[in-house]
Amino acid sequence: MDFRFSSNSSQEAGSFRLLELPPELCKLIESSIDETPSLSIKGHATDDAVLCTSDKTYALRSVVLSNTVIVATPSNNEEGGIDIRDQLHEILELVPSVPRLHRLSGLLRGLEYDEGDEDRHQMSHYSYQQARNEIQASEFEFSQGLKDRRILILDGNLRPIVPAHLSTILELLLNYLISLGLSHQSAPVEELASTLADEHEIPRIVTTQILSWFGVVNENLWSMDVNAVITEIGLGILRHHKHEPILETEFMTKWKKMAGDSFEADVQLSLLSGNCLQNSSSTGEALGGTLIYFPSSGLPIDPAARFMELFLTRQRWKNEEIEPFLSDIAINSKERDKLLLKYARALTSPEGVWYTARVNLNN
Amino acid sequence: MIIPISVSSKENNDIFPPSLARLGNDDLVLIELQGSLEVECNESSSRDGRLVGKLNVDNPDKPTLLIGHHLLEGKIVTLPKPLGVLHRNTPIQNPKTQGESLDRSQSDQDEVDGWSIVAMVKKKLVFSKRPMPITILKQKT
Repeated sequence: MDFRFSSNSSQEAGSFRLLELPPELCKLIESSIDETPSLSIKGHATDDAVLCTSDKTYALRSVVLSNTVIVATPSNNEEGGIDIRDQLHEILELVPSVPRLHRLSGLLRGLEYDEGDEDRHQMSHYSYQQARNEIQASEFEFSQGLKDRRILILDGNLRPIVPAHLSTILELLLNYLISLGLSHQSAPVEELASTLADEHEIPRIVTTQILSWFGVVNENLWSMDVNAVITEIGLGILRHHKHEPILETEFMTKWKKMAGDSFEADVQLSLLSGNCLQNSSSTGEALGGTLIYFPSSGLPIDPAARFMELFLTRQRWKNEEIEPFLSDIAINSKERDKLLLKYARALTSPEGVWYTARVNLNN
Repeated sequence: MIIPISVSSKENNDIFPPSLARLGNDDLVLIELQGSLEVECNESSSRDGRLVGKLNVDNPDKPTLLIGHHLLEGKIVTLPKPLGVLHRNTPIQNPKTQGESLDRSQSDQDEVDGWSIVAMVKKKLVFSKRPMPITILKQKT
């Protein structure tokens, strides 16, 4: 069989790439003979590129080969044979990655949505579409990220809601559920939205988006996600204690009061994991431990910097304490353990495993 | 910037003879060589369509590649992970109209061609041994 360069091989050089496919991507491609799967490579020219499916993000890495791989296809001349289309010296590897949503908070600084927003004139905009093109995350992870970061979509623009305003709205919602005698498992969206619009001038579009963050809207009925609402209300109180700690007992009383009689029982400190630090009282007084607001979203993204920050905050961490602060930079528990192995030193004591810094920060 | 990737079906109708199609794809094959094919020529386009050698895969246990006076003996290897072969969607005949249709989905100025996965490959031909010099012997094909 003749083996030759294709008739336009010089122009075609560089037009092929080899991509290593993880099993789940193979399945996706094999099953998509009829419908096109949504696959795309995303990022700025200066970013490390990622490949996104509809619900997952993979980091793209180029691996250099010492051998040459020739891509060959059947020749279209009469004698048959095969044509060399391209010669490659690298393959692209895919590594599952966490969605790169971190950039959002920087991009949206100064674009927050607050009470009485309609009266203010907004100078700059950052649209949903712009973000879709720039943020390195899959469609599903992106919309989930907007929800988790409490970002409203108003007139096609992204507007993170000011936390204090969000807490106010949630409190109002809880109050109206009771005063209007609605069940929190199936509250009519329309009724809630118009009540808030009429009595507090909160736009319907804002209310309906908030309802969808904190529960499931199905056939115009809202089923509240009790834990999500309670957590956000707790955060609303805790946010004021970034520098001055609050007594745990005092905090819990406040929180329960805000949650109201019907949801008091759902208040649990564990809901705030990844957002607060608990300090047991060092003086041994009967007052009990204190809490401080410490959101993992405010920590550096780079693992080395994050561990540095964590160990500057505390010299040693218990496994279950440090975990919540690593979940947004590690894709799964295996990745997380790898990070711990790399950046922390484990000490086993009778009380369990403690992690301390690998480098001495005092130097 | 978003570079769309599509999965495309066959781009032409030519297919391999059955002996090569045994590797899993009837219109694309990956051949791994130690070293690379260097062509000495003044203009890179002068190598287009030129004969490199002869490939023989009639015996699946002993594929051979004859280049000049060198005979390479290879083997068929199953890839540890399947490879997707991406091909750049270059506008072929009508670059203008193709550009417009792509632009509609793109809000900014970057004009992105997009890539297609033209094949999923699970096996490759590897020629990793040293070539044997051939003098008188002629390959029967």
